[in-house]
Amino acid sequence: MPPERSNSLIRAIATDVHFWIPFCVLLGGLALLDKLR
Amino acid sequence: MNARPESLEAASLSVVHSPLQATRLRSLQALGIFCGFAAGAWLGGAEAPIKLVNADISPITVSLVMVCGVFLARWSVPAFIRGTSHVRADVLQAPHLVVWAILAGCMWAVANTLTIYAIRNVGLSIAFPLWNTNSLLGIFWGFLLFHELRLAGWKRWLGVLGGALCMFAGAALLAIASSHQAAPGKATFGIAAALGAGVLWGTMYIPYRKAYLTGMNPLSFITFFTVGELVTMLIVAVAYRGATPLWHELNAARPVLFWLMLGGFVWVLGDLFQQYATKYVGISRGIPLSNTNQLWGLLWGVLVFHELKGGTHTIYAQVTGGSLLMAAGAVAIALSSATEREHSSWRNAAAREGERYGVEHEYVRAGMEGRSFDGKHHARSVLDWLLVLGTSALFVALASVARLPVMDISRGWGVVLSGAMIVLLASGGVALWRTTRFR
Repeated sequence: MPPERSNSLIRAIATDVHFWIPFCVLLGGLALLDKLR
Repeated sequence: MNARPESLEAASLSVVHSPLQATRLRSLQALGIFCGFAAGAWLGGAEAPIKLVNADISPITVSLVMVCGVFLARWSVPAFIRGTSHVRADVLQAPHLVVWAILAGCMWAVANTLTIYAIRNVGLSIAFPLWNTNSLLGIFWGFLLFHELRLAGWKRWLGVLGGALCMFAGAALLAIASSHQAAPGKATFGIAAALGAGVLWGTMYIPYRKAYLTGMNPLSFITFFTVGELVTMLIVAVAYRGATPLWHELNAARPVLFWLMLGGFVWVLGDLFQQYATKYVGISRGIPLSNTNQLWGLLWGVLVFHELKGGTHTIYAQVTGGSLLMAAGAVAIALSSATEREHSSWRNAAAREGERYGVEHEYVRAGMEGRSFDGKHHARSVLDWLLVLGTSALFVALASVARLPVMDISRGWGVVLSGAMIVLLASGGVALWRTTRFR
């Protein structure tokens, strides 16, 4: 993939709220797992 | 993002927005609903092999071995059905979805580990309904982010939301019925783990829907999804258990590795149906339908593993009432399939995704309709057959050293339930092939 295309994809993902919602929930899940072990 | 002339861009956009033929829409909706029910059977059945495993093994190790089975299944099943060259073709069209698939895989792995803590602490019967609240969260995300249930009309709203609430009430009743099985003092941890898994799974459907609105094939999505699963589980297992103790535990667990990996394999088949359900009927309908897995889990628990044995009439009445409520909720959702007007708002969401990530509109459109994008035939390669044969050989080797624990199990009911699952698998496979060629 050309660097220009990959940069624009990374920018599109980083500015997409749909990415940050699951990402934050994942971090919360890892924190809960850490409490339970 | 695309450097195309505006007129061409407008023409391509109209491809995504133009309405889908009514008969095609109906058959895709029926297919998605059937896949949702088949997913319920296979996801519920996946818990059965895990029940055969000794409680001495750490939940992290149990989850790691399951994920190894899942990883093998998520590569060998797509290789067997369509070949991995289809995966390459899909990724070339929508490379950003690799990131989404890996993110979803990481979430699955953490949620799956939490469910094992939940089952250990409060029992399957309580844990199941708690993590199945994910369907309510799925409806919320589907409506908020992907235009599901928009322009759907009050009857369909009532069918989906009422059905999901009905299923939740049924699940809660089942939980009350079996609450006498909870270990005292551990309930809080178990409930937190089950609810945490529900939130993770409910939110994991955001990447699912994202991928399928963009047109990706579920068989391609799961191959990258599983990379996230395996890497997360390896990191969690090594960090929490330590590499050497983990290795010793895996060696000691050799007689049960087969059951755990089988649980993972069965889960993948259920999840694959769930992915197709999500693709064709959306998360607001697909997820509640696949949550009928609780009924299947209950059938396995009561008929095969003799759970609730010696219970009072009240308990059996609660179980029957809860099961009927869940079934009624599932039927209400199944009868509330999307209309052409609602489907038009899905297409708006799909066009938005295509625009944002620069995906060809015809690819998005073909994916939504379950038809071929480029008309090319991708033949299976040697790699595909190596994946299938290698996975089969590993399962045969593990089965040869596996031991069935001494447990009060009804094998007759086990055969009956397995038979019902196989019938659903075969009919689902035929329906998917005839309608979409597994697209």
